Formats: sequence, structure tokens, C-alpha cells
Amino acid sequence: MDFALLRDAFWGLTFDGLALGAIYALISLGYTLVYGVLRLINFAHSEVFMIGTFSALVASGIMGVKVEDDPRTGWKMVLTLLVCLIAAMLASAITAVLVEIIAYRRLRQRGATKLATLISAIGVSISLVEAFRIITHSLPREFPRIMDKTFLLSYAGADIRNDKVIVIVAAGLMMFALERFISKSRYGKGIRAVSMDENTATLMGVNINKVITVTFLAGGLMAGAAAFFYILVYENTSFKVGFFLGISAFTAAVLGGIGNLKGALFGGFVLGVLETYTSAVFGTAWKAVISFLILVLVLLIKPTGLFGESIQQARV
Amino acid sequence: MSEKLLELKNVTMKFGGVTALNEVNLHVNKGEIAALIGPNGAGKTTVFNVVTGVYKPTSGEVNFVGQSVVGKKRYQVTKIGIARTFQNIRLFGESTALENVVTGADVHSKSGVIGSIFGTPRSRREEKAALERGMELLAFMGLKHRAGQLGKNLPYGDQRRLEIARALATNPQLLLLDEPAAGFNPAEKVALAATIRKIRDAGYTVLLIEHDMSLIMDISDRVAVLDFGQKIADDVPKVVQNDPRVIEAYLGAPADAS
Amino acid sequence: MADKKFRYNVRDHAAEYWERSPKWRRVCLSISFIAFFYALPFLNNPLINTPGSDFQSVLFYPVGMYVLMAIGLNIVVGKSGLLDLGYVAFFAIGAYTMAILGTHTGLNFWEILPIGIALAMFSGALLGTPTLRLRGDYLAIVTLGFGEIVRIVAVNIEAIGGPRGIAGIPTPPDFFNAKFTILDPKPYYWVLLTFTLLIVWMVRRMAARRPGRAWDAIRQDDDVAQLMGVNTLKYKVWAFVLGAAVAGAGGVLYASQILSIVPDQFNLNVSILILACVVFGGIGNLWGVILGATLLAFTPERIRFLSQPRILVFGIALVVMMNLRPDGILPKKKREHFDPNWHTVEESGEGEIK
Repeated sequence: MDFALLRDAFWGLTFDGLALGAIYALISLGYTLVYGVLRLINFAHSEVFMIGTFSALVASGIMGVKVEDDPRTGWKMVLTLLVCLIAAMLASAITAVLVEIIAYRRLRQRGATKLATLISAIGVSISLVEAFRIITHSLPREFPRIMDKTFLLSYAGADIRNDKVIVIVAAGLMMFALERFISKSRYGKGIRAVSMDENTATLMGVNINKVITVTFLAGGLMAGAAAFFYILVYENTSFKVGFFLGISAFTAAVLGGIGNLKGALFGGFVLGVLETYTSAVFGTAWKAVISFLILVLVLLIKPTGLFGESIQQARV
Repeated sequence: MSEKLLELKNVTMKFGGVTALNEVNLHVNKGEIAALIGPNGAGKTTVFNVVTGVYKPTSGEVNFVGQSVVGKKRYQVTKIGIARTFQNIRLFGESTALENVVTGADVHSKSGVIGSIFGTPRSRREEKAALERGMELLAFMGLKHRAGQLGKNLPYGDQRRLEIARALATNPQLLLLDEPAAGFNPAEKVALAATIRKIRDAGYTVLLIEHDMSLIMDISDRVAVLDFGQKIADDVPKVVQNDPRVIEAYLGAPADAS
Repeated sequence: MADKKFRYNVRDHAAEYWERSPKWRRVCLSISFIAFFYALPFLNNPLINTPGSDFQSVLFYPVGMYVLMAIGLNIVVGKSGLLDLGYVAFFAIGAYTMAILGTHTGLNFWEILPIGIALAMFSGALLGTPTLRLRGDYLAIVTLGFGEIVRIVAVNIEAIGGPRGIAGIPTPPDFFNAKFTILDPKPYYWVLLTFTLLIVWMVRRMAARRPGRAWDAIRQDDDVAQLMGVNTLKYKVWAFVLGAAVAGAGGVLYASQILSIVPDQFNLNVSILILACVVFGGIGNLWGVILGATLLAFTPERIRFLSQPRILVFGIALVVMMNLRPDGILPKKKREHFDPNWHTVEESGEGEIK
């Protein structure tokens, strides 16, 4: 145990944790959105994220960036970053929508049980992981350094690195955009209506299928953005990447109160920061254990998560 | 004076900003058929939910034969002798009628998992007793021929009757019936009235929520009226029927005129 | 209402045949059925042989082990409707108990077995008592986390081998003439089969009695179950503990056969696979679960010649299967009885209650 490290590098760790938390938050939005609408854990969401990382990788290749190259500068760098971001978001969004069509739609229309749907999603998840394992020969892939990573400033012993600043700011913008979309747009209202009461929403003329597609699309876009940010900061990916990030992101969603957008955001940041702290104190190996214990504690004290579920069901 | 079986003292139940029950005082005497009526949304089912431990009242006391029900777990409330039916039928649809009833009858068994694995004498005895009690109650409600059928496949009326049988199986001192006659035709209502009387005569106390006034006036010994979460009347049916406040509650609100 | 559709339903016919059979025939049928499974390792049929791996080994692991675990998980998921995504944890606890005690103490397999089961049950109760109060979806994430935690803890504690695991686990002592060696998986298979039969017998007894009714009620409507006097938490914890016991027993046996274990054998995929067996076969239906586990464990071995893409094929098969038969191969379906005198309990006179 190394409490001294936590004390000395507290602000730096906090900052790093926020960057990680931003990525968790973006992924957990997808879990929370789908859960709100379908009352299901989208097990394949971690693979939506995984595909995003590989798409960013492919996009960087198309843009002619190589691992051994020097980082780009100026507008060329901005362009490359944007192309990679958009590629990841698009690929993830398309994957998410396809997952819905393949794994969920038919079962939903037949009124299948939750568990059957879950297994179907698990099947898609296994297939995607395996497909990428075969394609990548089980090897991790390195992501080229597109931008030069420098420390912008040092505050109270914390070194603020530029790529992490970009991640936190951009993630904030994404979430803001999503929040606007959910609260203002026609589809956003549809999503909220279905979350509250599917039957009534149908009676009110909401097209459930479209709403669900849009929900997966939105979740996929967020996961894709998270994938790009992840690969930008950590500069590598593998077929297994979805698994670990997925568990943490889902934990974040539950921590905040699943089905609740604000909760997912908050849960993501809290978990990111806590994991970073505990890694510093107990070593990286134990961070999953600590976050699990935190999750169990939170659920025991407040079973609906920190922010409560957005949809309070009347019981009995 | 007759003995009070159930007593609600100044019970208030708030959900967020909505007050579902406001300082309600209510009691049920042992051996009577009491009725709880009122317009939709008056808080009748909330009373049931407070009594059975589904909700914890915001304030006030709920006493059942001298002990407080507040804070007790739902299954404990059932164990001390309060059982209920549901307004929207909630049977175990994938279980047979007999299993539905026996689930209720199991309350008074002491043997559990271990006993049933090893087939201890007590477990066998209790198992047999619960099955017998279940069949008896099915017969009582005229459902004996349905014993082996799934709850979800029973006709509507039989489902309602099965709910009563299931509640009775827990051997309650107080039976709460939530709109038992909903959707019944006049003949079925008459039969139901007879059944409820029989239940009372067998020593059970009944509190029912109902919308059918002729049924209420026919069978109940006492009627309490709720309106917007407040009790506005509580007396024998004759008096309540002519209470101007009750008439206003039902007819006075222009929106409710139908 | 009787289903008028003409449909030859093998299961209903089999069940009726069974019910109408006199006792001697039931005994004969059961004995030949059981004997067939004990004789299975001697079967040498090109259809069920597994090219690329030894058929007798495959019978023990994965097929037999998956069947056992699926039956155990079915108590949790199928009977009481609790979604457990970390079932592997109890398997790991059993296996590690065998490995640690087997290498550090003089205890043999038969002495460690009850300890392993007890430890698995204890951790089941420890995890279940606080978390089973939560709603189903939360339970899923908590159990999933627990499964991973057990593995991570095993990786990070050097005293129990860390990531290298534990090697040199002793085999069970000879049992009459049966010698337990790494070379011969048959005795292990027979022990496993015996466990499985015992558990099937226990589960069937419970399902027909009070615990079965309580679990049925909890699965269908937790709130109403409570209001009908079912102590739902108690029965949920029991389901959890019994499921854990089965996995713990499986883990002890597995470790004694494989001789060395590493934490990475106990990853999330095992939990997911066992769950897939349960749902694939027909959740809640014992025979369906057994069939599902057999198919899911056996198929990847049978198609081992595909080597690379076999898990991919498996994943796709899951999706296709769930889309075609969302209730599994042998869905749970209760048989209805329309005969008014079906139940033999004597009546105390129509229309009277006490």
C-alpha cells in the first residue's frame, strides 16, 4: 500500500482519473440508454466499443499515419484526429444498430424472455470477439501517435497532458449534445416516453422500432467516441479491450443509477477517479476489486444507485 | 363493543408531493364484513398496501391484534394473519391452481429446503396437510375441477375466485379483497356475496374494496368512505348511503358525472 | 382448455407413459437408463467420437462437468429466476480448496470434498444475503463482478501461486478397484455421474415440494410471493447456496483430475457458457438443461477440426438458436391435468372450510 503516492500525486491522479472517467461515462451512456428503453443489459455493447477502436486504427492507416512516424502537426493533425473520431463513431453506431436488428428485434417481437434475449446478445458478443481474435491473430495492435503529447501546465504537482484535456473537453461536449438531443428532439422525446411506459408510448403514436434503433444509434455513437479517446490516450487495442472497459462502464452505469443519463455520467467519472486512486494505493491489480466493493456498498446503502433510477416504478 | 382486529391511527401516506392518504383513521372489528369505498384514486388500494406492509406509512400507526404492522416484512404480515387479493389479478400463471393455493398454505409449514431434500417425517406431514388444505379451499371456491390447470389458462371468474382461495390458504384472521366482483355478471355477484358471507361465518374477518354499491349494501356490516385520501364517512350501509358528503363525493364532482 | 392442435408431443407422451407405468417398470427403466450412462465411456461410435481429443476425457470435461454445473445454475436461474453471471466463482472456490488443501495437508479428495462444498456454500451465502435483496438486473452485475474478483484475487495472491496457479494436486485415492490417474478419465467420469444423479434426485424432490413452489412464486412475481407469505430472501439465498454447492463439488473434482490449475481457467467465459447451456436447453426444465449442456459442451469438441473458427461458429449458433427457439430446445412447460379427480387428496365435503 502506498498512501504517500496518493498524497503526493493527488491532483495528477485526479486529472488522470477524470480522463479515464470520461471514457467510462461515454460507454456507460450506451448501457443506460438501452436499459432505459428495453430494460435489458446490452451485453454486446462492449464489442461496439471494441469495433470503434479498430475502426479508428484502420482510419489512421488510411490517413497514412504509421506507428514509426513522428506525430503530425497543424491542420493535418486536426484533420487526422477528426477522421479517426468520425470513423470510430460511425463504425460503432452501425455495429450497435446491427446488433439490435440481429440479436434483439426478432426476439422482442416474439415476446421472448429477458434471458433469451441476453443469451442472444451474448452470442453476438462472442462472435464479434472471436472474429476479431482471428483477424488480429490474438495480438494487440498499436495505435500510431497522431498528436504530440505535451504537458500543458503543472498545477499543484499535477501535470496536465494535452490529449487528456482534449478527451475530457470533447467528452463533455458529446454528453452535452446527447443531453440536448434527448430532451429536445422528437426522437429524444420518444426515447423518454418509451422509457417511462412502453405501452402508453405506443398508444400515443410513438414508433417503438424507430425509437429503439435511434437509442442504439446514440449509444453506439457515444461508444465510438469513447473508443477513439481511449485509443488516443492509451495507444493500443486488442480484441479483448471491450471486456474490461465494458465491465467498468456498466458498473459506472449501475453506480449512478441505471436508466439515468446523469447517473451514468457521474458514475463514470466517480469510477474513473476511484480506480485511479486505488491503482496508486494498492497497485493496478486490485483496482477492479476495489471498484466492485464500492459498487456493492453503494447498492446496499442505496439500491437504486447514487442518482436513483429515472423511472420509478410503482410497486404492487 | 366488539373487539378491534385492525386499526389505522392517523395514517398519512405521501408519494413525493402527492398525499395518497391523509390522517386516515380506520378500524375493522373481529368477525365483520367491512367495506372500503370511494371514487377512483381515493386511496383505497393504498390502504391495503399500507396494511400489508407494501408501503411504510409516512406517519401514523397500523395495529393488528395489538401489534404494530409498520416496519414488518410483507411475509411476516401474512404470517401474523393478513392476506389479500389484487385488483388486477396477480396469480402465478405458470403454476397450477392447486400450486397457487398450496403456496399460500405453506406459510404455516416449518420444514424447508433441508426437510424436503431428505423427506423428513415433518416435511411429509406438512406437505400432505398443505395439499389437503389447498384442495379443500379449491373445493370451497368451486374450483376443484381446475386443480391441475395453469393459473393463466383459467377463465376470468375462476381466476378471481382462485385469488380468494390462495389468500384464504394462508389462514388469515383478516382477509382483504380488492374489487373481488370486478367484471362479474349479476349472477356471479350474487354467488360471490354468498361466498363472502360463508367466509365470514367460518370465522374470518373481511375488509373489501368494491365499486358495486348493491353488493356493498347487501353484505357489509360497516362501510368506510374515502375521498382524496381522507375518510369522509364510516357507518352502517344505510347511514352512509344517505350521507350528503358521500353523495357529493360520488356525484358532486362534475368531471366524475357519468 | 385442451389444445386441440394435433401435435405429437414426445415429452407429454413419455411423461404419461411414466405415470401409467407400474413400479417394477419404472425401476427397470431407471436402472437401464442409469446403466447406459455409466457404460458411456465404452461406447465407440464414429458419430459421437471427438477427433482431435480423447472421447473419454471429453465425457468428463467439458461434457459431464458442464451438465453438472448447468443443473446447479438452473436452480438459481431456472427455478428461482435469479440472473447469476458469476457462477464460475464457486467452481473456482471448490477447485482452489482442493488444490490448496491437497498440496498442503494430508487430506485426500474425499475429505476435501465436503470442505470445498461447505466453503462454496458459505461464500454463496456471504454474497447472496446482502445482494439478493437487490433487483434482478443489479444482481447480474454484482455476480459478474464477484466472478471476476475471485479470479483477480487468485492471480494476485502469491501464496496460492498467483498467476501460475497450483500444480501437483493429488488424485483421489483408489476406490475399490478404480484407480484415479491422469491417464484414465473413466473413474472421474463415474464419480461425476454419481454426483450428477444425486443432484438430479435432490432437485426433483425439492421442485415438487415447498421450496419448488416458493421458487416458482418468486420467479413469477416476487411481490405477490412475499404477500402470500413466502420469505423470498430466504429461498433466494437457499437457491444461491445450493447452486454454489453444486459448483463447489464440481470444482473439487475438476482440480483433482486436471492436477494443476491456473486462475485464468476460471474466467467470465465459463459463467457465460454455463448460463448459455441453461438457456439454450430450456431454462427451468431439468432435461432441457442437461441436453443443452451436452450439446454446447460437446459441439465445440466435435467440430474441433475447425480449430480456429469454432468459438465463432458457437457464437453464431447461439444467436441463430435463440432467434429460432427463444425458449430453448426443450422449453419448460408444465403439463396440465383436466381430469377433475386427478389429485387424490380426500375431500372434507364440498363447500366447507375450517
